[in-house]
Amino acid sequence: MRRRSMVSLLAGGAILLAFLPGGAGAVPEEEVHHIAMELRCPVCQNLSVGDSPSEMAKEMRGLIRERLERGETREEVLAYFVSKYGEWILLSPRASGFNLLVWILPLAAVLAGAVGIFVVVRRWNSRAKARAGAEAHRFPDPASLERVRRELEATEGGPPA
Amino acid sequence: MTAQLGHFTLVLALLVTLYGAVAFLVGSRRRLPPLLASAERSVLVSFGLVTLALLVMEYALVTSDFSIRYVANVSTKASPIRYKIAGLWGNLEGSILLWEWLQVLFIALVVFRFRRRPHPLAPHALGVLMGISAFFLVLLAAVTNPFQQHAPVPPDGRGLNPLLEVTDMLVHPLLLYHGYVGFSVPFAFAFAALLTGRLENEWLTLTRRWTVLAWLFLTAGILYGGWWSYRTLGWGGYWAWDPVENASFMPWLTGTAFLHSVMIQEKRGMLKVWNLVLITLTFALVIFGTFLTRSGILSSVHAFAEGPVGIFFLAFLATVVLGTLGLLLWRAEQLRVPGELDSLVSRESAFLLNNLLLVAFCFTVFLGTIFPLLAEAVRGVKVSVGAPFFNYVNVPIGLALLFLMGVGPVIPWRRASWASLRRNVVGPTATAALATALLMVAGVRGFFPVLGFVLPAFVGATVVMEFGRGMRARRRLQGEGWGTAFRGLVERNRRRYGGLIVHLGVVLLTIGIVGSSTYKLEREAALAPGESFQVGRYTVRFDGLEGAEAPTHFRVWGAFTVSTDGRPGRVLKPAQRFYQGYDSPFASVDARYGLREDLYLILASFARDGSQATVKALVNPLISWIWLGGVVILVGALTALWPGRREEKP
Repeated sequence: MRRRSMVSLLAGGAILLAFLPGGAGAVPEEEVHHIAMELRCPVCQNLSVGDSPSEMAKEMRGLIRERLERGETREEVLAYFVSKYGEWILLSPRASGFNLLVWILPLAAVLAGAVGIFVVVRRWNSRAKARAGAEAHRFPDPASLERVRRELEATEGGPPA
Repeated sequence: MTAQLGHFTLVLALLVTLYGAVAFLVGSRRRLPPLLASAERSVLVSFGLVTLALLVMEYALVTSDFSIRYVANVSTKASPIRYKIAGLWGNLEGSILLWEWLQVLFIALVVFRFRRRPHPLAPHALGVLMGISAFFLVLLAAVTNPFQQHAPVPPDGRGLNPLLEVTDMLVHPLLLYHGYVGFSVPFAFAFAALLTGRLENEWLTLTRRWTVLAWLFLTAGILYGGWWSYRTLGWGGYWAWDPVENASFMPWLTGTAFLHSVMIQEKRGMLKVWNLVLITLTFALVIFGTFLTRSGILSSVHAFAEGPVGIFFLAFLATVVLGTLGLLLWRAEQLRVPGELDSLVSRESAFLLNNLLLVAFCFTVFLGTIFPLLAEAVRGVKVSVGAPFFNYVNVPIGLALLFLMGVGPVIPWRRASWASLRRNVVGPTATAALATALLMVAGVRGFFPVLGFVLPAFVGATVVMEFGRGMRARRRLQGEGWGTAFRGLVERNRRRYGGLIVHLGVVLLTIGIVGSSTYKLEREAALAPGESFQVGRYTVRFDGLEGAEAPTHFRVWGAFTVSTDGRPGRVLKPAQRFYQGYDSPFASVDARYGLREDLYLILASFARDGSQATVKALVNPLISWIWLGGVVILVGALTALWPGRREEKP
């Protein structure tokens, strides 16, 4: 009986706490959520701690809040979870070492593709211009023709067979 | 007996299909009409046999024949009949059987289509398609026989995962499989073009509508999957960048790129190699996705059993990719088309950028999906690549695509004059400016949210203006009313205006995504009966718990009265379902859906004596616009697909 009333007292206290306006040590719920979205829920299939309805995720959100209240920074909280579960717990891999690849390659691909397209389009463009130029001079004027003829004669061999 | 019949049918179908593949290829190469006729008959025989195997499996499922291991895996005696039927695609072997059935169905449709209007490419393409079909039959006959028996026969089956026992299970997988299988047709014609050296635009124009159809099914499947996830998975989201979701999204991205780039080849005869590469990539990604998710090398919500199938898919994938590459090299001379472009600012350039962004998007998804495997292989450390990564990298790409979607359709082919550009872009730019001002007044702040709303406004304005311009011209010239003018306009160029309607759908969808991801409200509270809490403009009061026995599970739900802005409204009943053999309960959410926002309740936990319930409430603004946009996209795709008078001409 006593234990039961203790439990309900604790539960009541917890509810009360949940509804209490933020005191000095309170951290904004958004901050907790923001960190929770970066962590993988260990018992779910591909859900973040922020999204997961599981009991485990709820406890982890509590842990995040606790650590923030103790004055830890976002980085420290994340580092704590990494030390406990390994890198796997982070939903976006840290941009260092081998993991840099996953961040850099997409950007590199876009840039390389953009350069490639620019080169190709420029080549197409110059080809179109060259053809337009050639078409404009398809019928050379008589004066030029005469000059070409004279120059060919001057080289003695004449036009090749 | 049933099992033997089913397996024997599949073996027979394999033999017939192998014969058909060879007969098509030899018959068309040596020009032997009788052989071709017999090959066509082999398609019908194969279709009949696979259909028979499918029916045998359904018979076993419906009659709960648990001597077949597969049946015992996916159904129980008590399962409602519709889920017994859906058990066919509830696990690996059955879904390959369904896939193969759809594959033969599509082959039969191709035969039917080209029987009336023969084309020299068709027999080769049919040979390729029969080869693909043979691959799946090898799997079914020799590797993952769905009719495998086991002993002792269990008294009851295990049944589907309770997550799958919902009506959506009858829709979502079927749509996706249609999409996957559909892309085999344009691929086969591309491959046939390479085989025969008929490398002009024929293979594109012949398969144009097949491609749109496949795209339509794939799009519908992906969107339906999101809707399903949102309404029933109970976490409040619709897309988790799960490996299987990614597997369906990658071919969608390259397929979408293909739908756009073919237009350059049709209009200008350029990009021949690129189009062949894109369609091969799309088909290869379909196979790759299946490999990823069916081989068990990645864990995911959707992943089925592990087994030796992975290596077969990999071998098939290698055949497809290396085969196409080899043929491309062989035909390289013939494929060389000197491209020409009058101006750097032109529709062609816009399409090239569109292709770059879509393929880069696909590459990012690909990289993110396989990176955990890479990291483990190289460093021996497990890492995760999840939603934050994908959003971070892909949101900028998505916004750039949106911008192009606004500009592309109004830039003329070949050369855009500044005057025409100005004329076409002034209206949308003004709309975008107005939208920015309105958003500022409404209190929207932040670079991405503002851009995320302004760009859709910009694109929406170009689409509306395009329609407006065409309709005004028709009214002026032919004196039509607005309705007739609209119909006439769309009928005259279904493909263009269907495409613009699709763009409009994407606009709505983007608004939904931006709104719901930026302004989502979330609150969780533990309540005793009679207590209430506030979330957004809603007050949620807990009235009490109830429980009831359902055929397959026990259900506990809480009743919550929701008042909006103080006015009492509906009672929502989020629930938890308890299944025998599963430790944790499954959530059934309840929500009040609306165009402005959804109020979404999840029953997180409760006290057994009913004295308390913990409920999570989400307010998801504009999320319905995603589904609305999805419907508009489908309408647009159907518009492009609908047989018109113009397209009936040969």
